[in-house]
Amino acid sequence: MQIDWLTVAAQIINFLVLVWLLKHFLYAPVTAAMARREARIAERVTAAREREDAAERERGRLHARMDRLEERRDAVLEQAREEAEREKQRLLDEARAEVDDKREHWHQQLRDEQRAFLKQLRRRTTEGFADLARKALSDLADVGLEDRMVATLGAWLDNLDEDERQAFRSSRELVVSTGFALDDNRRGRLGELVRAHFGADKHPDFEHDPALVCGIALTAGGRRLAWSLADYLDNFERTLAEHLDQHPGERTDTASNTEPESERQADAATG
Amino acid sequence: MTISPDQIILWQWGPLHINATLAYTWLIMLLLTGGAWLITRRLSTGPRLSRWQNLLEVLVTGLKDQIRDVSRQEPGQYLPFVGTLFILIATANLLSVVPGYMPPTGSLSTTMALALCVLIAVPLYGVLHRGPAGYLRRYVQPTPLMLPFNLIGELSRTVALAVRLYGNIMSGTVIVGILISLTPLLFPIVMQLLGLLTGMIQAYIFAVLAMVYIASASSAQHEHDDERGPGG
Repeated sequence: MQIDWLTVAAQIINFLVLVWLLKHFLYAPVTAAMARREARIAERVTAAREREDAAERERGRLHARMDRLEERRDAVLEQAREEAEREKQRLLDEARAEVDDKREHWHQQLRDEQRAFLKQLRRRTTEGFADLARKALSDLADVGLEDRMVATLGAWLDNLDEDERQAFRSSRELVVSTGFALDDNRRGRLGELVRAHFGADKHPDFEHDPALVCGIALTAGGRRLAWSLADYLDNFERTLAEHLDQHPGERTDTASNTEPESERQADAATG
Repeated sequence: MTISPDQIILWQWGPLHINATLAYTWLIMLLLTGGAWLITRRLSTGPRLSRWQNLLEVLVTGLKDQIRDVSRQEPGQYLPFVGTLFILIATANLLSVVPGYMPPTGSLSTTMALALCVLIAVPLYGVLHRGPAGYLRRYVQPTPLMLPFNLIGELSRTVALAVRLYGNIMSGTVIVGILISLTPLLFPIVMQLLGLLTGMIQAYIFAVLAMVYIASASSAQHEHDDERGPGG
């Protein structure tokens, strides 16, 4: 083991030369290349970050704009909906009011017509029926209708029970009402009938009552015994009215009191 | 048996001569410089790299990281010196797999030359960083009585650097030579592989120790760490 100092000197020089060569050909270029690459990468990263920031800002802006548009759209839609609802309600109310008016008007018209018709019908039927009955009774039995009514009253008086008879008898005043004019002959017959049933001291008063139409009634002390063609006509009229009237609650006034008085006879005591 | 390439004289003119150590060293210098020049002619700065450029970048980055770790300073100014030490020694040792090649690091003249370079570089970097007074003050710390010991330590570690590298590489070569004469087949190959590993480790140790010495001399905060015992 020995040291060759010439070689040592040469190797020192060799090493220093190699240091210079490698610094020139290796370290400097590679370091510079890496630095450049890093700079480029940093540049790209910066650019990408800037683009990202810009995109983020743009996104935020568009988002805000979209939100505003949506809010505006919702508001417009809501307004339109409310307006449409109000308009619909208004039209519905108008139509309903119009329909109500028309219906009320029609009902009124119908009631008027019905009332007029029934009134006319009642008048004509009464007249016609009275004429017909009178003519038929006259033709068949040579007895006037008025006589027949007097006879009917007599038959009812015959059939009165004792209580009723007593009630009539005890009353002071007896009134015989007729829907037709009485002649003296019939007055006499009626007076006799009354006296025969209720006592010889009884002298009935006679009065003409057009409301009976074609009938006869005996009234005494709140009791009443009557037969009238009006009862039948009321019945007939009620039947007609029921057919004509589509609303049972709107019956005509004439149909409200339809029970024939004859059916109640004397037991329908009134105060 | 020739154990040092110094003894192989290729050319002689009077007292001047060229031995195998110098010749192999020039060969290595040619290889390194030529290779570096070929690769760094067209360096890419884009994202796509050639594999050779990648190799050089890995090498340079690794050297920088090692220097930064050891010195805790920016590696820029130390890289040419320490990096060249490592690359030269590693290449010289790795080429020993080539038949007929004798590593120049197996010559005490080469290792002494490299150790002398470190011996000179340490005060140079120290003076550069701390000034002449600042550098020289470390020899009389903690007390002027330590001056002789500091000087002896400076010299001895230089000798240790040189002898450690020389001994490891020379011994590897000698062992392979002896084994070839005894068991010519497999065993020498195993020892050659071991020699490759040893060569890389020695290159690393030499470079790192050089860096430690330089860093301890040039850094104020490492004033008292400069007497680290040589490893290896």
